[in-house]
Amino acid sequence: MDPSSSIQEPFDLIRLSLSERVFVKLRGDRELTGILHAYDGHMNLIMSDVEETIMIVDVVDGAPAGQPATVNVAKRKMDMLFVRGDGVILVSPPSRT
Amino acid sequence: MLIFSVFKTLTDQQVTVELKNDLSITGVLKSVDQFLNIRLDSIKVLDEARHPHMMAVKNCFIRGSVVRYVQLPSEHVDTQLLEDATRRESLAAVKR
Amino acid sequence: MSSLQGYVDRRVLLILQDGRVIVGVMVGFDQRSNVVLSDSKERIYSIDAGVEEIPLGLYLVKGDMIVLIGELDDAVDTAVDLGTIHAEPIPPIRY
Repeated sequence: MDPSSSIQEPFDLIRLSLSERVFVKLRGDRELTGILHAYDGHMNLIMSDVEETIMIVDVVDGAPAGQPATVNVAKRKMDMLFVRGDGVILVSPPSRT
Repeated sequence: MLIFSVFKTLTDQQVTVELKNDLSITGVLKSVDQFLNIRLDSIKVLDEARHPHMMAVKNCFIRGSVVRYVQLPSEHVDTQLLEDATRRESLAAVKR
Repeated sequence: MSSLQGYVDRRVLLILQDGRVIVGVMVGFDQRSNVVLSDSKERIYSIDAGVEEIPLGLYLVKGDMIVLIGELDDAVDTAVDLGTIHAEPIPPIRY
């Protein structure tokens, strides 16, 4: 099989997502979607047309255990972004619908 | 190595470095090294009213390990070139 | 190479992983960006009071602890009356 088109190891999945819109989950309750242009073995990424979503969980003081905390979502857009690999939890290829 | 090369092509361009302590610093990229440590000139901290700590700092050295993001000038990034170089590097890694 | 060479003998400001701010004259550094400062002071920021400076003297800071090293513009820095500056401390590094 042609090694450039088959998936044999996890990074192949990311390679096949180059120039496609990907979803990235980061540490610190952050998520990104953007077009993937480059990555390396540390999962450092370069993406364009990025939208970042930050989940800010407000735990209500004195609220009974199990009561859902309010979650505020902050969004922002960035043109071209380098993402340091140590913050990356997962990279997900585009959903093909 | 690839990402290091990309940063080298962006020297003398304006970038914004966001740190893992939520500080954002804009400045002119003067140099990078293999650890992605970054030197910035003519720096400006975002929301200086809240962060006056670096008022008198004109240039700085940032440790690569504390960087969360670097916002790059998209007009100076050749995305096609990046994708080709990434494919080449990943195939070379498999052969090794 | 993004070296610290240019900072030797200059007054610098260090931001550390735990959010501390230290100023001093850089006497030297090594490959691991360990740094020695002379005549150093910690600057403690708070919202309710002006900046407090604690003298530390000759100080060695481990490279692992350093977030950022900035060169101080002495004219600007001495013109600032630290006692009038009220600000939140810098948050610690969190991943």
